[in-house]
Amino acid sequence: MSVLLKKFKMQPGQSPAPAPKKATPIGKFFRHPYSHFMIFGVLLVLVQVLAMTGVLSAALARSVGVSLIYSIASLGFCLLLGYSGLASLGTAGFMGLGGYMFAYLLAHTPLPFFICVAVSVAALILIGALVGFISLRIEGIYLAIVTLGLSEILVSFFKAFDSFTGGASGVNLKAKDLVFMFGAFELSREVSFFIITAALVGLMIVTANLINSPTGRAMLAMKNSTSAAQAMGISKVKIRLLAFVLATCYAGIAGILYAVYIRSMNPSVWSLSLSLNILAAIILGGARSIWGTLVGAFLVFGINTMFLQDIAFFRDNPNFIMIFIGILIILIVMLYPGGLAQLAKTAWHKIKAWIRKKLAAAKDKKAGAGEGGAE
Amino acid sequence: MNAYIQMFFSSWMFMSVFALATMGIVLIFKTSGTTNFAQGSIAALGAYFAATFVTKGWNLWLSLGVSVVVAFAVGVLVDVGLFRRGRSVNVIGKQIITMGIVMILFGVVPMAFGALPMDIPPFAKGNFEFGQFVIPKHYAICALITAGVLAAIFLALRFTKWGLGVRATASNEKVAQMLGVNTKMITAVSWALAAGLGTLAAVMYGSSTVLNPAYMTGVQVNAFLACILGGFATFYGPIAGALLLPVLRNYIAYNTSAWADVIIYTLILLVILFKPNGLFGKKIVKKV
Repeated sequence: MSVLLKKFKMQPGQSPAPAPKKATPIGKFFRHPYSHFMIFGVLLVLVQVLAMTGVLSAALARSVGVSLIYSIASLGFCLLLGYSGLASLGTAGFMGLGGYMFAYLLAHTPLPFFICVAVSVAALILIGALVGFISLRIEGIYLAIVTLGLSEILVSFFKAFDSFTGGASGVNLKAKDLVFMFGAFELSREVSFFIITAALVGLMIVTANLINSPTGRAMLAMKNSTSAAQAMGISKVKIRLLAFVLATCYAGIAGILYAVYIRSMNPSVWSLSLSLNILAAIILGGARSIWGTLVGAFLVFGINTMFLQDIAFFRDNPNFIMIFIGILIILIVMLYPGGLAQLAKTAWHKIKAWIRKKLAAAKDKKAGAGEGGAE
Repeated sequence: MNAYIQMFFSSWMFMSVFALATMGIVLIFKTSGTTNFAQGSIAALGAYFAATFVTKGWNLWLSLGVSVVVAFAVGVLVDVGLFRRGRSVNVIGKQIITMGIVMILFGVVPMAFGALPMDIPPFAKGNFEFGQFVIPKHYAICALITAGVLAAIFLALRFTKWGLGVRATASNEKVAQMLGVNTKMITAVSWALAAGLGTLAAVMYGSSTVLNPAYMTGVQVNAFLACILGGFATFYGPIAGALLLPVLRNYIAYNTSAWADVIIYTLILLVILFKPNGLFGKKIVKKV
């Protein structure tokens, strides 16, 4: 991206950039690579604050919160599928594992909030490494089905292991357990929303850093041709393990946040259809774009409760929402394989080129007029 | 020992259901190169048709026949309308398209058939009893139909021109097309057959559950696992896997009821780890 911008700056026929002004703190902030994510985070906080003051409905804030949780899982899956080319259908199971483990630790041990999170994430790292090892032997569609099998194992495990997960009826977190900072804060829905926002923005920054790092490039190379990448000296073991560890961690964090925000879980939540929906979110938004992933997750998980239910037609015929999203998914996959991110990028470049042309034309005219005035 | 033999007989319905569903998934995997996540929901759609006809007072067999024909039409429609146009879409894209179909069907089915639960009667009530063993008549009829249908398909795959075409398309679609195989026709027929087989399975299973748009999802997941257990390389491998799963599950459930699913899925996973191409798989040579 930055290379592209430089190219634009060096375009012939354009007046050289004016002498750089002294960078104001605000200008500095906007030029910082994380500024988009920060602004996004501030906007999300604003959504919750507005909901607390009653400008926006609490239901809207809630559906934004749920979409954000799924966005985190989608972001991890984006690293896995979009950047490493590994298909997995186990996301839901990993989310569930994270959630249950966290809920169990919080309710049955005196450990504070962050230790519970850390222990759950550590367990997920182990699971992720295990799946990574499996992925060394099994590839492609087979890997997708094997991870689906693993997810089924986890779901059956959730159903069977009563004392850990509450069995088929699920587990409910009690408000007295949900305290934060040694009991200083209660994790109300609002506070949880802020934590979700912080987690999402943090993970977006981590993801953005990773995909622009040598490791990210190595992942991409491995996706395009495993053999060629290995010949270049990239370690297959390292990349595959890392991809799966990261994806399961993201999924686990999403599961923990789900436990905190929704406060009740039962095994039927973590079904195949959740994994498939996350897959759909990635493909809709564009498998290799952070913003695309977010847009996709909002489309799949949020559009229904956020907007469509306010339209009378969809409210009266809730089944049309499913049909609508289904048709949307099929159309995007068939017409725009790069997802909405690619569509937006193409459109943005076109608009930018058009504006540039107009500006250049206006400048020429102005320059011409200025010269005319001097004579 | 007798208990184990009895459990084998009690698995006949699920063996039939899994085998038919698996055959549908394998046919589509071989010809269209995608795992069809819509297999279960298309089958459920067919079962809804059958249930509607039965509630109208039609004979069960007539309803079954008509709903299978409807499913054929749905299968062809999906192939011609979506997959023929989406040839350039990559493997994962194709999977997503089948998921889009799932979503559309989840919306369409309750709208078309109402949200009330429907059910399908068994083929026959009562049991066959011989000695100390009991086989429900429904199970026996399921097994007979499945054996007949699968035998017909395997014979057709082996001996007819269509079967040769399917095998050619499975091994390399482009080359088959160049050599004059009508791959479009082959794929369309495979989709139709898969939908029909799914419907047959859904009607068999429908007698022991209440219909809802997602009621075949569990069967579908098991069919996928059967496919990788047997290996996608052959047609008989997945079927063998599908026949093995319910029996094994019953045997394990007999000893530890709650943990049966965990144990059986773990077993499958271990088998796959040691034989990545499945029990009957062939090693695929990878080209760079």
